[in-house]
Amino acid sequence: MSIFEYNGSALVAMVGKNCFAIASDRRLGVQLQTIATDFQRISKIHDRLFLGLSGLATDAQTLYQRLVFRHKLYQLREERDMKPETFANLVSAILYEKRFGPYFCQPVIAGLGDEDKPFICTMDSIGAKELAKDFVVAGTASESLYGACESMFKENMEPEELFETVSQAFLASVDGDCLSGWGGHVYVVTPTEVKERILKGRMD
Amino acid sequence: MKLDTTGMESAAPVWGSHNELVDEFSAAPSFELPNTTDFDGFQKEAIQMVKPAKGTTTLAFIFKEGVMVAADSRASMGGYISSQSVKKIIEINPYMLGTMAGGAADCQFWHRNLGTKCRLHELANKRRISVTGASKLLANILYSYRGMGLSVGTMIAGWDETGPGLYYVDNEGGRLKGMRFSVGSGSPYAYGVLDNGYRYDMSVEEAAELARRAIYHATFRDGASGGVASVYYVGPNGWKKLSGDDVGELHYRYYPVMPSTVEQEMVEVTGA
Repeated sequence: MSIFEYNGSALVAMVGKNCFAIASDRRLGVQLQTIATDFQRISKIHDRLFLGLSGLATDAQTLYQRLVFRHKLYQLREERDMKPETFANLVSAILYEKRFGPYFCQPVIAGLGDEDKPFICTMDSIGAKELAKDFVVAGTASESLYGACESMFKENMEPEELFETVSQAFLASVDGDCLSGWGGHVYVVTPTEVKERILKGRMD
Repeated sequence: MKLDTTGMESAAPVWGSHNELVDEFSAAPSFELPNTTDFDGFQKEAIQMVKPAKGTTTLAFIFKEGVMVAADSRASMGGYISSQSVKKIIEINPYMLGTMAGGAADCQFWHRNLGTKCRLHELANKRRISVTGASKLLANILYSYRGMGLSVGTMIAGWDETGPGLYYVDNEGGRLKGMRFSVGSGSPYAYGVLDNGYRYDMSVEEAAELARRAIYHATFRDGASGGVASVYYVGPNGWKKLSGDDVGELHYRYYPVMPSTVEQEMVEVTGA
């Protein structure tokens, strides 16, 4: 198994009507052994910007800490929050700095930009941005996630329907992967509120 | 290289005189060997692919009433789950069971081969083969294929004239008699639960619940185990399948989701 599959992870972000959803699994493992079933992979950068990091857990934690630091500096200097597009550029630059000794992570960035337009993107471990209009996936279950999202996605879904779609696609995909799952964490973000829900999944 | 071909020989008689032309047709069937220079090495990649496998959890134990056998039902290829409904408890004959861990094809084939041999023994000796005998037959076959990349980690459980019998047999040719075994990547977790809850005098229901719990706990911790926990019981009248529970549902039965205590509740404020 490769280094990206050492801890196991699954992440997906999907766009709806003036809202977005970002979901992750809750398993932290060491190859086949499960260590924890409440691991946080998605973190809030600010009220309208969320970052999910898949891949090696130690790199995910360190990278998250560096990014929060950079964002706080930005807040002090600019006296405002970062736009999602700007943040994506920041993550990409930080990842490419380590081009010849990379962080073994694949970030998924989801946020609400100007005029509450949802923005999602993912990157490979050295910062190649992949912008998408519908959904992005990352992690050990990414291939199943692509298939499930492709078939279940519809444009302009309302927050409730978006939550259902993301949850069903997510649970179906992680059930086909040994290294991710053990529950799910879904954030649905609209201009007015953030709803965090925990999914009841198969614990095997 | 002399390969063990008993059990696969045809009923056709071999004639006394050896004629090169006739030998081709009347010789006993055997496996064809590939014509390579490096017979052991060319399979190395295939062996390495199979070796880390044994991604499964199976267990069996003897108790007062007989033998309890249980297994999960997941087949995994590296990280990908290829099936959640694999039959890992193989019915060799109405009073003997074998468990599957390792290569599915290897286990299925050699267990069926063992069943054939057991039946031949019955017909030749007018009595059932003992569990000791059956496990020895299998162990000897696997020993003769040692180093050729078979991956078999099996337990032979049955009831014969001497009572309940349980043997562990693996592809290295090892054969162990015992009261409790667990095989597979999930076995450390299953052993933890099994060793803690085991008593010799348990009823059939208690033993079944212990086996089910042990498999469930292994599926929770081990990524390569999951699906359905099957539990079989082998008694004086042969084996019987007791249950097949989906471990996803078992989790919420053992650890139901409790409504969490409300820390802060928003209340309507009346007036201004």
